[in-house]
Amino acid sequence: MSTVDSGKAYHNNRVGPVMRAGDLALAVIEAAKLDNPGKDIFVDDKRAYIRIHAEQEMILRQSTIEEELGRPFRMNDLEVDLSSFAGQIESRDDSVRFYFTKKL
Amino acid sequence: MAVLNRMDWYNLARSTNWTPKYVTEDELFPPQLSGDFGLPLNAWETYDEPYKQTYPEYVKVQREKDAGAYSVKAALERSRIFENADPGWKSVMKAHYGAIARGEYAAASAEARMMRFSKAPGMRNMSTLGCMDEIRHGQMQLYFPHEHITKDRQMDWAFKAYDTNEWAMIAARHFFDDIMMTRDAISVSIMLTFSFETGFTNMQFLGLAADAAEAGDHTFANLISSIQTDESRHAQIGGPALKILIENGKKEEAQKRVDIAVWGAWKLFSVLTGPIMDYYTPLEHRKQSFKEFMEEWIVAQFERSLTDMGLELPWYWDIFLNDLSQTHHGMHMGSYFWRPTIWWNPAAGVTPAERDWLEEKYPGWNDTWGECWDVIIDNVVDGNMAQTYPETLPYVCNMCQLPILGTPGKGWNVKDYPLEYNGRLYHFGSEVDRWVFQQEPERYAGHLSIVDRFLAGMIQPMNLEGALAYMNIAPGECGDDAHNYAWAEVYRALRTAKKAG
Repeated sequence: MSTVDSGKAYHNNRVGPVMRAGDLALAVIEAAKLDNPGKDIFVDDKRAYIRIHAEQEMILRQSTIEEELGRPFRMNDLEVDLSSFAGQIESRDDSVRFYFTKKL
Repeated sequence: MAVLNRMDWYNLARSTNWTPKYVTEDELFPPQLSGDFGLPLNAWETYDEPYKQTYPEYVKVQREKDAGAYSVKAALERSRIFENADPGWKSVMKAHYGAIARGEYAAASAEARMMRFSKAPGMRNMSTLGCMDEIRHGQMQLYFPHEHITKDRQMDWAFKAYDTNEWAMIAARHFFDDIMMTRDAISVSIMLTFSFETGFTNMQFLGLAADAAEAGDHTFANLISSIQTDESRHAQIGGPALKILIENGKKEEAQKRVDIAVWGAWKLFSVLTGPIMDYYTPLEHRKQSFKEFMEEWIVAQFERSLTDMGLELPWYWDIFLNDLSQTHHGMHMGSYFWRPTIWWNPAAGVTPAERDWLEEKYPGWNDTWGECWDVIIDNVVDGNMAQTYPETLPYVCNMCQLPILGTPGKGWNVKDYPLEYNGRLYHFGSEVDRWVFQQEPERYAGHLSIVDRFLAGMIQPMNLEGALAYMNIAPGECGDDAHNYAWAEVYRALRTAKKAG
């Protein structure tokens, strides 16, 4: 049986949330674009969950998500649909940051 | 009245260490339970949880999550999803609930150990919430399957499995006892929350949710992905502990714990999640292969984050990558062959169309496992059913408690990894399983595998009937082919066509 090169997947620098599908996920996709200017935002929709990633660092702001949602939103409400995330996380009152310290 | 922002008061509110006057520090935090790794109290006070949460926020968010999960269940209760589901999909649910629901309650007690005995105040705060998370997971994953018990006796194993000596449950308990029930608070944070929850739970609770959504089982997809939102928070408990250990020259000890937990998790998922994703889930609903999900969640996401925190890839990295395409195929064939000894009905998953998919995802499948399945298929088509069942027990590994197996056919690599310790001969399924044992032999040496128990005469009478009684598998609960062998019809037709042609 041939060994397929599974190790390749390790060499990536993508960070960001993995959201349950829904209106919050859609707002986060828009917020990711607005809050990370000049960065490509990678969206991978797996139906039950959606990967929303950027290279090395991604910031999401409470005010941007609130505006995209069109209803009051506190940063902590992100958890309702935040199923997982790639990279390390830093939580603040008005934003959340996903990042890697090293670049491969 | 102005309300302070959370971060204006968070650090002060959760700094709850004090200098004990009436007892010694070791009495307040017994080392065996706290796991101080020889570091002073103030080293643990630098613990800074990256994913912060306060109790009022927790209550609000959890209420919202529960409202979502329970209302989806209520809305779909009359949709007859279970009755109309493919039998393979029902087996996915049975295997999942049995292997997991009661383990969640056990995890609550592991979280409680961190909550009481960790010397890091931030860890105590996060594990208080984590403990309540795990109670929620236990309750939901018993409540959701309960409505199906009257329709299907095997669903009762959602509650029953953990109380039995069924072989897969012995394996599950052996693993969870090792990483979360018998370790100090810091080791639990590394082995359970960091290694198991940041990594592997994503496979079962999000990867499988993707398959569930494709299969139209939105109640299940919604439930398990909601559970994973708790995990993604409390899985972060271990990270800051790892950083403290690395900063204080304890990297080697931290690394060893991660390597042990990741390997054990991998073996358990190779028997539980691998067959579910690549054989039981109906072909048209498979979002990705098990290996592709492993590459996405474990290789690309978990291991990448692990090295970002200052740890190394495990020493067995190449073995692990190689086994991603192999181990679970053997686990599937084994559990199918020994199907009377499991509490769900395994789907064979080897129709010509499914074999094409397997060959595409795992090049070489037909020349290896396919050759063994050819024999099973011929026996089913010929009506030689007795030969599709085992006459002996499989040899199981003294570490992971799962069958010792390798790749058959043209890829033959089946091998035992023995070790003699204190006059007893142990058998392992891989170099890594044996390595885990050697790290702390006394921890594992006294355990008897299901085969050891059989040979010691603890299972009587020494036949299938005795084995089923020992495993507490009642009549009506025994596993059998999920589709009652209907899949073999296509092979029968192929044979007839060949004769005619």
